Amino acid sequence: MPKDKPIEGEKRVFMTGNEVVAWAALAADADIMFGYPITPQNEIMHYWTRLAPKFGRDFLQTEDELSAGFTTLGGVLAGRKAFTATAGPGNTLMQEPMSMAEAMRLPMVAIITQRGGPSTGTVIYSQQEVTMTTLGGNGEGMRIVYSTATHQELFDYTIKAFNAAWKYRFPTFVLGDGYQSKMRESLTIYDPAERGIAIVPPEPYFGKPGVPGVDRPPSQLRNTYNMEEELYEVVEHYLEDYAKVAPEVAEYHAHYVDDADLVVVAHGVVARAALMAVKELREDGYKVGYFRPVTLRPLPEKELREVAGRTKKFLVAESANGQLARLLKEGAYGCTTEMLPLFRPGMGITPEEVIAEAKKILG
Amino acid sequence: MTGDSARIVEAYTGEYASGKSEVAINRALGLAREGRPVTLVDLDIVEPCYTLRPLKKTLAAKGITVLAWETGQVGGLGETGNILRAENRWALKRPGDVVLDVGYGVEGAKTLNLLEGAGTDPDLRVLLVINIARPMTGSVEDILVYIKQMGRVDGLINNTHLGDETSVEIIQQGARVLAEAARRSGIPVVATTAVRELAALIGPKDCRGHPVRAIDRYMPGAFW
Repeated sequence: MPKDKPIEGEKRVFMTGNEVVAWAALAADADIMFGYPITPQNEIMHYWTRLAPKFGRDFLQTEDELSAGFTTLGGVLAGRKAFTATAGPGNTLMQEPMSMAEAMRLPMVAIITQRGGPSTGTVIYSQQEVTMTTLGGNGEGMRIVYSTATHQELFDYTIKAFNAAWKYRFPTFVLGDGYQSKMRESLTIYDPAERGIAIVPPEPYFGKPGVPGVDRPPSQLRNTYNMEEELYEVVEHYLEDYAKVAPEVAEYHAHYVDDADLVVVAHGVVARAALMAVKELREDGYKVGYFRPVTLRPLPEKELREVAGRTKKFLVAESANGQLARLLKEGAYGCTTEMLPLFRPGMGITPEEVIAEAKKILG
Repeated sequence: MTGDSARIVEAYTGEYASGKSEVAINRALGLAREGRPVTLVDLDIVEPCYTLRPLKKTLAAKGITVLAWETGQVGGLGETGNILRAENRWALKRPGDVVLDVGYGVEGAKTLNLLEGAGTDPDLRVLLVINIARPMTGSVEDILVYIKQMGRVDGLINNTHLGDETSVEIIQQGARVLAEAARRSGIPVVATTAVRELAALIGPKDCRGHPVRAIDRYMPGAFW
């Protein structure tokens, strides 16, 4: 007999990031994972396949990532909370189903554990899947992307990703990386209900009760249109919806920004190094601030522009060659803040490196 | 004490991220401190992260022989796996004590079968490292199921911890859970491990009488 609740109350535990994701998906009432192996994502699948049978959940390993993405959409259409996880070249292959999810407003949830690129790169770590995860595919980037920094956030935001996806009906991503996947640290896992977090229930897209067109609007699901005008009308409507929900979806963290001469901007695991660096610099009397977008799509634009209006310089620290910086430049267009790079494509960034760079800039 | 007392051959296995490598490293260094010749062997042929590879030189400098690839020598890790070093395959034929670090959970434990003499070595003991703060091995029932999946297990190690947040209480809780798992499985608890500061607070034996081994943490420096 499957057990009801994967987590009773709450518990302090010691885990790897991948394992955290599997437990969070259980806690979020995910029904099924579709996946194809790729490092550094593998243990999400491994732990899900070990845990799922105990709690009456399902798993299907497909022949590749293209198929894993599309079967995830099939699960969603059938009204199941379906998710997948991938990395690097797997994320590249999955852009096709992810675009379809945008086109048909399907609440696909995907965990991305960034690895080095271009191409197969390394299996270890990078932040080089920002552009692809936020704006990939042949679409308009109507996606929600949470970039996590700690194991606690991996747990919290994986649960939140399922809720956001099913509430707003845009494909939703938890953007991690190889470091977060493999690192071990303690966190509290919990039953969302005990924290007052209501789980948004899924519903089928097909086979709803009543006569289509009489008792309810017909379920007309399309990703192909005959005419430019037809497509334009649909996309315009989706873009309006996206713009409407963006302010309530967008999240950020900011510290010490009010009087800062320089603000370090970072996301994901690099934000941990950035915050440590900023705290140390403040202790040494440097007027340095910290800004971290938690959502990379939609970007917390209003808050970014406020900080940009107050400070002279941004130092953008990322393990990519300016993929975060490109999003920031678009978000802060027209602001005169200078944007200085600390770009290390595929390399980790330490607090010491951020401190050294900040001191060099501030003199 | 010299190396002429009975040969010690121990394989450390266990759930992914249970602390096998840290326990194995500290065991090898502990035996070396007693003046015994020790070979420490990396038998993780899956994992790109947290293996003995990055620590090879540091540990060798402390007077033990370390059989492991160096990170720059390996290619195709993770889903593609890695090649077992020829020297590692013959590790059980070496003189002196042998400590085997067998990575990557149940599937990884099968790597032990690739070693020459693993099925017949009279001194070999397979020790299962358990941290009850890992939910997959969090209760007596979970541990009993896990032992069955592992195949051969000759002894249990209580390596319960919460990283930097570890307390004496959680280590003792691990000792109580493992004592019960030992009673029900018939497999003894060989030791409780604890970082040096906490080991000093616990004393030479934990609350269930298992010997306490103090450990120093090397693995945080072994990410890749």
